[in-house]
Amino acid sequence: MQLLLQVLASGVLLGGLYALMALGLALVWGVLNIVNLSHGALIMLGAYATYFLFTGAHIDPFAALPITAVVLFVVGYGIQRGILNLVIRGPMFNTLLITFGIEVILTYLAQLWFSADFRAINPGYAGSNFAVGGITIPLVQVISFAIAIGLTVAMWLFLLHTRIGRGIRAAAQNLVAARLYGVDPKRIYAVTFGLGAALAGVAGGLYGTVSQINPYIGGPLTAKSFAIAIIGGLDNPLGVIVGGLCLGIVESLTALYIGPTYRDVASFGILVLVLIVRPSGLLGRTT
Amino acid sequence: MFRFVFLAATLCFAAATSAQTITFGASVQLTGPVANTGRYYKDAYEFAVDKINAAGGVKVGGAQSKIALKLLDNQSDVNLSVRQYAQLLSQDKVNFLLGPFASNFVLADSSIAEKAQVPMVQGGGASDEIYTRSYKYIFGTLPAASDYFGSTIEAMAKLSPAPKTVALLYADDSFDVSVAKGTRELLQKAGIKAVLDQRYSSNASDFSVVLSQIKSANAEAVLVAGHETEVLNFIRQAKSLGVSPKLYSFTVGVPSADFRHALGKDANGASGMTAWLPSTSLKDPWFGDAEAFARDWKAKFGYDPDYHAAAGVAAVEAFVKAIEAAGSTDPKKVRDALAKVSFDSLYGHIAFNDKGQISLPQIMIQIQNDKVVPIFAGKDFINKLEYPLPPWSQR
Repeated sequence: MQLLLQVLASGVLLGGLYALMALGLALVWGVLNIVNLSHGALIMLGAYATYFLFTGAHIDPFAALPITAVVLFVVGYGIQRGILNLVIRGPMFNTLLITFGIEVILTYLAQLWFSADFRAINPGYAGSNFAVGGITIPLVQVISFAIAIGLTVAMWLFLLHTRIGRGIRAAAQNLVAARLYGVDPKRIYAVTFGLGAALAGVAGGLYGTVSQINPYIGGPLTAKSFAIAIIGGLDNPLGVIVGGLCLGIVESLTALYIGPTYRDVASFGILVLVLIVRPSGLLGRTT
Repeated sequence: MFRFVFLAATLCFAAATSAQTITFGASVQLTGPVANTGRYYKDAYEFAVDKINAAGGVKVGGAQSKIALKLLDNQSDVNLSVRQYAQLLSQDKVNFLLGPFASNFVLADSSIAEKAQVPMVQGGGASDEIYTRSYKYIFGTLPAASDYFGSTIEAMAKLSPAPKTVALLYADDSFDVSVAKGTRELLQKAGIKAVLDQRYSSNASDFSVVLSQIKSANAEAVLVAGHETEVLNFIRQAKSLGVSPKLYSFTVGVPSADFRHALGKDANGASGMTAWLPSTSLKDPWFGDAEAFARDWKAKFGYDPDYHAAAGVAAVEAFVKAIEAAGSTDPKKVRDALAKVSFDSLYGHIAFNDKGQISLPQIMIQIQNDKVVPIFAGKDFINKLEYPLPPWSQR
């Protein structure tokens, strides 16, 4: 019983981090209809940014997260404004190709600049944990979980109640009408993509504290974020929390009861199940 | 008249001393997920070739030949590496082949060499699977995967109190499955019970479930056969979940400097194994001894070599010795010479068994105070093992 509770706790914490990783992708996809295949590469860049801020400027990783977010926002804004804007009105296939190309370029640039050596963000408190009723809870993962939930809720409120947020949703729902109301699509799209990249950057920084960083972590993370975004549904940002938690718990239970080799089978199995039974996602609108 | 004689003499002289260049070809992981270890092989091959050329090259049939190296980057893609080896043979027409890193690559690439009947000496694959196919042209300088934990388990039996329960974890690729298979038999013979025996997907990043299982099963020792990124994650997550077995040993990571650097203090206490340590007792015809080799390597490349680097250099040296013994660059003759080669080098004694694999004992090592310390090599403890490991909170 103890083991099951521990595994569930680990699954929930893992799910929180997954949710944050998927949030940027879901935002960009749900709003801009761009499936950003370079999402994982942005996570990887965020991880490196936090790593270098930590080892170079000795800034605590959690304090470095806002700086990482700003840096990645600028990168994302630039990518959207400079590259993606050129294909945004075209068929979706073009955005898939371009974002795939960006992913390849970013990965190889990272290999050139940072080498294939792996890094880990290892602040003094990285391994600390505390016990709650016999279950060990790692400190860093709890903080990451809290940040993930906090950012997701903040994003939801942002989209609902702020001017820019409403502008973003308007542009997604009906671009012509939005333009009539004074929304500048180029700027709004770039801001949205920038936000998605900033969220990816923060997720990367947190990922670097619990796992390790190398130029190739992007690919599998994009796949995972993709699955979570679909499972949770793209209409509601809170969907990624549901998707992330669902995946985290299912993966952990599968690893415990069936075997660790079946983790990916379980997560993509859930994806297929959701697509068959409820294609708009668990929190999506059923129309 | 004089000019004509002079010209003729020069041409004759040139013809007499012109020797062929012997080209070695290899497809190595220079980019991609395993580039981290792949680069050891590029550096090793180049380092060895440069040193041997500087010492005069290879003596073939009375003339000194230089060695040339043709290296291709397979981007950590097995399919690409297979195509590149085929290209090296058919297009670039290299004389001999050097291997890539990783058993799954060697498994695929060795078939190309065998089919073309061109010898390949590889220092990157240890899986027993490589040698079960009755290939005649493939030789390896890494000792058998199934024996990787041999010296560790022998050492465990000599500890007091000896660990009675073990958790065995392994990734699902050729090398690690081979290691696990061999380790299971070794554990059985030693009378140690494997309370957990689990296979996980390569590139797994989350070990919290398996760590919780280890804690719950009270495994006294943990043996992990995996890749460096997984081992790194395992150790960090073990710390954050407060799982501290009395002993834990990993097939990779522990000998390499950047692994220890990434973990910092958390690397202390981790055990591993290596077939090679840079000691002065390993004398080499070109490099002096293993310690001098390690010094020169560090001076040239800026990082410490580990057994991958030494195995790569050993592959080149084995070829040179075989070519000189055969007195020709004919693939078949060199292949026969390789099967009989026997000499001491910075890597230890190089000789291949009838399946083509080298036989070297693994030395159990442990990271103590950020340094790699040899612990056990089959007879007595060389240095004291830090055992049992204190719980994380007390380190």
